[in-house]
Amino acid sequence: MAAAPIQLSVRNIHKAFAGKGPEVRVLDGLNFDIHEQDFVSIIGPSGCGKTTIFNIIAGLIEPDAGNLVYRGEEVPSLRGQVGYMMQKDLLFPWRTVLGNVLLGLEMRGVDRRAAVDRAREHLHAFGLAGFENAYPKTLSGGMRQRVALIRTLIMDPGILLLDEPFSALDYQTRLYLEGVLKQAVETFNKTVVLVTHDIDEAVALSKRVVVLSGRPARVKTVHDIDIAEHSPIAARSDHRFAGYFRTLCGELDIQTEAKQPETTAS
Amino acid sequence: MSVIAAEKSAALQQPRPASRKRSMFNTIVGRALLQTGAVALLLLLWQFGVRIGWISDFLFGSPSGIYVTLLRMAGNGELLSDTSYTLFEAILGFIIGTISGSIAGLALWYSIFVARLVEPFIVAINSVPKIALAPIIILWFGTGLVSKVALAVSLTAIVALIAAYQAAKDADTDLQALLVSMGATKHQIFYKAVVPSTIPSIIATFRINIGFGLVGAVVGEFISSQHGLGHLIYNASSFYDLNTVWVGLFVLMLVGFVLYYVIDLVERLLIPWKVSSAVHQLQV
Ligand SMILES: Nc1ncnc2c1ncn2[C@@H]1O[C@H](COP(=O)(O)OP(=O)(O)OP(=O)(O)O)[C@@H](O)[C@H]1O
Ligand SMILES: [Mg+2]
Repeated sequence: MAAAPIQLSVRNIHKAFAGKGPEVRVLDGLNFDIHEQDFVSIIGPSGCGKTTIFNIIAGLIEPDAGNLVYRGEEVPSLRGQVGYMMQKDLLFPWRTVLGNVLLGLEMRGVDRRAAVDRAREHLHAFGLAGFENAYPKTLSGGMRQRVALIRTLIMDPGILLLDEPFSALDYQTRLYLEGVLKQAVETFNKTVVLVTHDIDEAVALSKRVVVLSGRPARVKTVHDIDIAEHSPIAARSDHRFAGYFRTLCGELDIQTEAKQPETTAS
Repeated sequence: MSVIAAEKSAALQQPRPASRKRSMFNTIVGRALLQTGAVALLLLLWQFGVRIGWISDFLFGSPSGIYVTLLRMAGNGELLSDTSYTLFEAILGFIIGTISGSIAGLALWYSIFVARLVEPFIVAINSVPKIALAPIIILWFGTGLVSKVALAVSLTAIVALIAAYQAAKDADTDLQALLVSMGATKHQIFYKAVVPSTIPSIIATFRINIGFGLVGAVVGEFISSQHGLGHLIYNASSFYDLNTVWVGLFVLMLVGFVLYYVIDLVERLLIPWKVSSAVHQLQV
């Protein structure tokens, strides 16, 4: 893994929000690297600033200090080069499934017919064939999430930023979509940064896990996950899974004693 | 956009609301029976009151008198010509006012600076009862068609402007942020996120504005006109011809009624993704 060149380097990012009273320091000199074709999970306590980092990388907010280096070049942000899947699925209610998937391609001015063909292929691959003309309102949560994922993937972004994409779903759907994601990422050779609350998910999917401390967020540790299994379900039964799980729980200051029976069970 | 084609099949996919047991009157026919029954009862009471002398024929008119007047005016074409004058003025004023107001309101989204600059003026203009402008408008635009249309425009444009601007301000910023992350330009954000999300609010103003269009036309005709339902009503009332006044009022009601349903239809065509709340209202 270490042989892969660095794709994105987050350097010394500072960000504070002016609130009522004293300003809230959310990011205080954050540093981490994302390699080419990496799969990095970011975990950390709620409210520590994970979404804020994504917003900075995607160019939705500006950092107070620090910079981003993308493939060796310093850039203000990766606006237009990222596939950002936000915490909410954010489907456009007035667009059909197909219309939603086409959004990014329209933005780029891709030829309509080619775009539609590509969209149909993706919808088919993700089990959504036949739903092209349905409005988001009529879809289930898992289907909406899949549409949002296709919308992100179809643009063929240099880097995927996924902010708790599956946190609102039931366990079964989540396992299924984790598999879908992992497979899609491997087929298209994508770089993924995944924010999740689910340590289980982080270990099962990632090559590396970045653990953040509470606010202001700093990188506490970075763990390499060395599980050969590709499918997230198989990864969960790998003999090293429980060990990683326990270590990460410890990093997050979760009471490991109370958690131990659960860890050994899985 | 293939969205148009998509709408049709999506409409077909819409599940029928499960028919559940309802009262026998809660059907289209049942409701219509109840509604016409209530109107008929009212008219009968009125007619009866006039017959026994409790209600003054002179001050209130009578259903039978209204009926005779209606037949006469419909027969000699007077009614049709007055109605079409008023209708034309109202619709033209509605269209010009609503479209220009909506466009201006949406355009304010582009520049927060300009929006803040003009906001107090909009508030000031909005707080003037536009009817009070009628005499000046007639002075400026004469006693013909143009002044009525102008009055209708002055009533409808400001409503549309405020609604469109408010809706554009309220447009979901997360959807806009998503487009920004995709590298969208300001124009793209405007056309793909802001405008579509304001459509429901803009269409909601259609309902209010079609009424204001009629108000503008009729008030304009009150003040000075040779034609139109407003002229008809005003003229008749100055001769104490109450039956004719009622004919004018009922026709105005009918016109408003028809226009309301036309807008309903337009709404369903323009925003198929927003399932009509009238049908899918939560049954509790
Ligand atoms: N626009 C903003 N204005 C003011 N404060 C903000 C803003 N955005 C975020 N914050 C604050 O910054 C902190 C970090 O927010 P952020 O959304 O990045 O957390 P998070 O790590 O994504 O949390 P979660 O895991 O719950 O989604 C929070 O305390 C939040 O209150
Ligand atoms: Mg978050």
